[in-house]
Amino acid sequence: MKELIIDSYYVAWRELKKYFRQKTRMMVTVIQPFLWLALMGNAMSGLTNNPMAAQFLGTGNYLTFMTPGIILMTVMFTSIFSGTTVVWDRRFGYLDKLLAAPIKRGAIPFGKMFAAAVQGLFQAVVIIIVALLFGVRFQSGFLGILMILLIAGLLSFILAGFSLALSVKIKTIETLMSLINLFMMPLMFASNALFPLKVMPKWLQVIAKINPITYAIMPMRDLTVKGWAYNIWIYLLVILVIDAVVMLWTNTVFKNATAE
Amino acid sequence: MNEAIIVDNLKKTYSNGVEAVKGISFSVHYGEIFGFLGPNGAGKSTTIKTVIGLLKPTSGKIILDGYDVQKEPYKARLSKGYASQETAVDDRLTAYENVYLQGKFFHMKEEDIKKNAEELLKMFNLWERRNDLVETFSGGMMKRLDIAAALIHRPRILFLDEPTLGLDIQTRAAIWEYIRKFKENGMTIFLTTHYLEEADALCDRVAIIDQGKIMALDKPGVLKSEIGGDLITLTFSENTNGDIKDFLEAVKEKEGVKSVSEMKNGIYSIVVEKNGDKMIPELFALASKFNVGISSVRLKRPTLDDVYMKYTGRTIREAESSRDENAKNRLITRRMKR
Repeated sequence: MKELIIDSYYVAWRELKKYFRQKTRMMVTVIQPFLWLALMGNAMSGLTNNPMAAQFLGTGNYLTFMTPGIILMTVMFTSIFSGTTVVWDRRFGYLDKLLAAPIKRGAIPFGKMFAAAVQGLFQAVVIIIVALLFGVRFQSGFLGILMILLIAGLLSFILAGFSLALSVKIKTIETLMSLINLFMMPLMFASNALFPLKVMPKWLQVIAKINPITYAIMPMRDLTVKGWAYNIWIYLLVILVIDAVVMLWTNTVFKNATAE
Repeated sequence: MNEAIIVDNLKKTYSNGVEAVKGISFSVHYGEIFGFLGPNGAGKSTTIKTVIGLLKPTSGKIILDGYDVQKEPYKARLSKGYASQETAVDDRLTAYENVYLQGKFFHMKEEDIKKNAEELLKMFNLWERRNDLVETFSGGMMKRLDIAAALIHRPRILFLDEPTLGLDIQTRAAIWEYIRKFKENGMTIFLTTHYLEEADALCDRVAIIDQGKIMALDKPGVLKSEIGGDLITLTFSENTNGDIKDFLEAVKEKEGVKSVSEMKNGIYSIVVEKNGDKMIPELFALASKFNVGISSVRLKRPTLDDVYMKYTGRTIREAESSRDENAKNRLITRRMKR
């Protein structure tokens, strides 16, 4: 166990060293939330002038409704591409090096998942700061913000793990990208990340209710809009269970991975 | 225990049906440089990857440093270093970070990594550039770094897959020097190559591998001597007065001459048992006796290429060109499957 953690740490160390060296990527990370909140928020703010819509959204401020959604989307898009690092590593032979090293095999995906979560959370923190500047107030306070980050991190783990498990058998970036896109769009739109459940058609509501994204966004939104609600812990539990399943899955996949 | 690697009847068939290795057995002694010589696609990389546990063998047994690779993969991994054909260094990390990370993957202590990394990077002439990103390095520097990283934990057995592929002559010579030095320090080295000179210059023993089978295995000198002796080729001056036929008859009578024959367009070949260089002056003495003018003479020592030719019926270059096609086709079919 101790070895697994140490090995994972150094796999993550490698990814993060490279991440924080990419100046352009870092800049985009900071600029993106400004664009989202300023453009989207402004364009849609007319919506909340309608009292009916305001009731659906649960808040009179569309930006407040949007912020958890933006955090979620950013975290999703950062972590779901985690698998591309494995495809790259395979391409230039580094994956063989990792597989040949006496590290715990599970450390390869876990390290990369951890790195993806750190990247996602770094972006989430930037978004929260920008949102606060735009006047968004989190009803659950500072502890609530920490809870939002925890949930975002756990979701990041799930998506990165999913993408990593797929990547083991995939030889090209293009194949992985198209597979990811296949899953991402339905996951996004069949959840209440962008629109509240209540305004969705019935059939879409059913899909949204079995979508893991929903279980991340619901507590995040509640913490932002409503404050601490009792069912946050249930959502957290569901997410933790999905996390455990994904970790077991990636561990098995990487344990059996060969250079073939 | 005096064998570093024992491979017994190893077979590897890929999931797409390609039989890369068709039942090979060999063993590598501790402290020797053992070479796998063969064209691309002969099964060299597959063998190396199976021996270090990157690929699962279809059948057969592999013992590495006393550990069964399939039963105790973790222990078997500890005693070996591996530098792959692809030069797997992370080009967005610095040279030092690459080596450091490798040390960490082998669970080394911080101070040991520091000490070994400094020694290795200095030895490989990379110390001044240790804090530069690897993407600024030349191909030769990357290769040196890759080998340095493979050595950070001082492995007992070092695996080098095509260590000088695509490198210029100076870099290649430098890498040969390093490899010899490792051997002096008691390391066992298993390398694959499709350069005949490399196998000849470095290896204590060479296995010639073709189409997934070992065709011959011995010391390079022994393999070469099996081919026969040195080859002297001669051409005669056009306006020679003497009788060429009589001269050739006389040559045939000489001690140590195995055969004399005309190859083509007036080029004659003389095969001698050994010491072809000493035979040449004697030939000239004989030629002047018969009043025959020799216009050119060439001495050829048997090379591993001739050995390769003997066992496979082709030169290594001929094998390469047809293999390239096969490899390309295989890659295409493999991609289509995904």
